[in-house]
Amino acid sequence: MGCAGYRQAIQELVDGTLAPIRAAELDRHLDRCAGCRAFEADIRRIRDLAASLDHPAPPDGVWLQIAGRLRQEGRVRPPPPLDRSRQSRYAILGIAAALVAAVGASLVLLLPFLRSDPSTEAGAGGAAQQGVPAGNAAAGEPVQGIEDHFRIAEQHMQAGIAKLEEAARADETVMDPQTAAMLRKNLELIDLAIAESRAALKSEPQSIVARDSLFSALRRKVALLQDTIALMNEMRKGDAAGAAQIMEGLNKS
Amino acid sequence: MDRAGQRESTMATSKLTVHPSAARAAGVPARQDDLALVERCRRGDLGAFEELYRAHAGRLYSVALRLAGNAADAEDLLQEIFLAAHRKLETFRGESALGTWLYRLATNLCLDHLRSRAGRSSQVTDSIEDEAALLDRSSGGLADRTVSRMDLERALARLPDGCRAAFVLHDVEGLEHREVAAILGIAEGTSKSQVHKARLKLRALLQARS
Repeated sequence: MGCAGYRQAIQELVDGTLAPIRAAELDRHLDRCAGCRAFEADIRRIRDLAASLDHPAPPDGVWLQIAGRLRQEGRVRPPPPLDRSRQSRYAILGIAAALVAAVGASLVLLLPFLRSDPSTEAGAGGAAQQGVPAGNAAAGEPVQGIEDHFRIAEQHMQAGIAKLEEAARADETVMDPQTAAMLRKNLELIDLAIAESRAALKSEPQSIVARDSLFSALRRKVALLQDTIALMNEMRKGDAAGAAQIMEGLNKS
Repeated sequence: MDRAGQRESTMATSKLTVHPSAARAAGVPARQDDLALVERCRRGDLGAFEELYRAHAGRLYSVALRLAGNAADAEDLLQEIFLAAHRKLETFRGESALGTWLYRLATNLCLDHLRSRAGRSSQVTDSIEDEAALLDRSSGGLADRTVSRMDLERALARLPDGCRAAFVLHDVEGLEHREVAAILGIAEGTSKSQVHKARLKLRALLQARS
């Protein structure tokens, strides 16, 4: 038998499907025939290379599009109500966000007192003239007292942000890696702004600009975390349109 | 029958497009958890269908990409595959594994796409050139050549659609010939001959590249 007659057997040998008797016969031929040995090596190489080819992951948006179509065509049930543990988690988030918003709003009231000359009694006492309600800690207090309030307000804000960050991290897997990476990058940029503002405040504790900058960055962080959680919610529901709307808002900010 | 006759017979049967018993012969029935998942999907559970998607999308995208030859078409095909799978869930009886059922659906959609793109009539298998001619042309072999994955991908894209499908399913995806046969609706022997011929053609293309 010529070499051509062994070629199919060689392929079966490479696949491990050649019957033992045929395999033994083929082995004897391969011992004598360099051409067939080279052919066997080539076929193994091609097969092994094929087995090592990458399996690229499908693009992230495909599932959202599929889910969106299924919902549009009415082929899936609406999502079940959130379970209790999720409900309580979102209640906590709501409280955290409200807390942060309330602290943020109170800061808006406090800031004007530092925009006037903070080193004079007139500036500090201006609080009463501006109609700050009786009982408000800012009214008539020295500057040091106002700075303490800012520090406490910042601590409260950070506590609220920590709760939002915890919830965002817990549900991160629902997001595609690209979107998660983009949001992490945005958070890093805001954290950098926060760190720079804190450093500026440390060297100039009276700086209104540094304080404004710090609380502006903190408010931006709250807004980004709230949008992140809303986006995760839309993605979990498979609502492609809702998710796309939030993403558009995030891309613009 | 002598060796030459056996080769002729193999080449003739490789032109068959459908082998009626091939589907049943694949034989591995669906597992209980596959059946349960399909049942949840049938009842409109989107979360269950997402589970199914996450479990199978990677491999099906890989097949679509290598059959379609470009990422844009592969992405569209992947969507079509899963939308079709959802529509056809009622037809899944569990006689084959869920993965095999999905591979069959995916491969058929991909081959239909290629046929409509090329505008030619369908034939699952291809009569690529004479095996002897392929052997003659590639007698030099690949011994001293560096062959990269990219080289193989480029050569793969040049194979005829049918034998490319058999090669992708068997050598790239690692399915057995009986599974490839069930997916393509051909005989197991035909699957083997298609894969063997694909390898010969790839060998010739890779040698010519150098």
